[in-house]
Amino acid sequence: MSWVQVAVSQSSEDIFDEDADEMYLLQKEWNSTMKKRLKEGYRDGIEAGKELALQTGFNQGYRHGAELMITCGQFKGTLNALLSWCHFNGHDSALSMINNLLDVVGKHEDDVLKYLNSTEEQPHLGHILDSVQDMDLNHTAGTEYREVKDGKHNDCGSSSGENICRNSGEVGSLQSECSKANLCTDPEKSTLAWVKMQTVWLVEQLGLSLDVLHHVQQLEH
Amino acid sequence: MADLLDGIVMAEQRFHGEGYQEGLAEGSHAGMAEGRRHGALHGARMGSEIGCYLGFALTWHCLLQKCTDPKNSKKLRALDSLIGMIQKFPYEDPTYDKLQEDLEKIRGKFKQVCSMLNIQSDFRLGNERSSLTF
Repeated sequence: MSWVQVAVSQSSEDIFDEDADEMYLLQKEWNSTMKKRLKEGYRDGIEAGKELALQTGFNQGYRHGAELMITCGQFKGTLNALLSWCHFNGHDSALSMINNLLDVVGKHEDDVLKYLNSTEEQPHLGHILDSVQDMDLNHTAGTEYREVKDGKHNDCGSSSGENICRNSGEVGSLQSECSKANLCTDPEKSTLAWVKMQTVWLVEQLGLSLDVLHHVQQLEH
Repeated sequence: MADLLDGIVMAEQRFHGEGYQEGLAEGSHAGMAEGRRHGALHGARMGSEIGCYLGFALTWHCLLQKCTDPKNSKKLRALDSLIGMIQKFPYEDPTYDKLQEDLEKIRGKFKQVCSMLNIQSDFRLGNERSSLTF
């Protein structure tokens, strides 16, 4: 009967091996199906989350941008009014200074726009979706964003600081009262503070009414 | 067999749900940032334009105070009206339903004021950036 035992044991071994293979395959298929579901869910979630947050983000950003730029605009409008007044009243010597100040404000405005564009910058949805394909959902993407964001922020800060120094250099003779170091410490505010100081000086030189002076002085920077 | 199928379906739903939650958090983060960036640029444009009109109107209002020209009262009235419109305008609120409508009215008033003051609203032709046209 030994051959029977051999046959049985062999066959049972065979059967066992076949099961093992099949189980392995099933397990693999199960895993890949669930991974697929996980990724599908992730993708659906990203789209839903994005849609939900876009409007809220837009509203927040809008308010921030509007409040940040209103002062810039007020300086621009004030300087333009002075420009037209000087033009009408034959104060031609003041025109170039006002134009210079308008250029400084314009450049500052560009810097603020660049700053707004870069600080809020994040990877595009497409990039996230692409990276979902080969990620194991153990993502450190969040921290990477932050590092990238901080990096960009710093870059932006330093470059706008340089710009402001350059700006003030252009109107060189007028900036002696204003220390350069001071200009660079807070790039957001110091450009307009400097423009304000120059405008106050100009208004005084032109002998304009105290109303005008007060208007310029109450412009926040 | 039915139980087994139910189990599979439920597991698939559970995995989908887990992925969804993670994606939702990530997507909210990305959507928020993208929305904020677009919003900031739109808001900045609005702030710049409205601020410019306000600064211009307030300055001219001061400049005209001293003159005794009888025509000035008409100009001052127009400036008052423009300043009033701007000060009532919730320029920083994107949910205000008449944002665009009111902006157009303010633009129209500004043009009217400019023509009364004999100023071309785009008089700084040489410098696009600083001109008063938006």
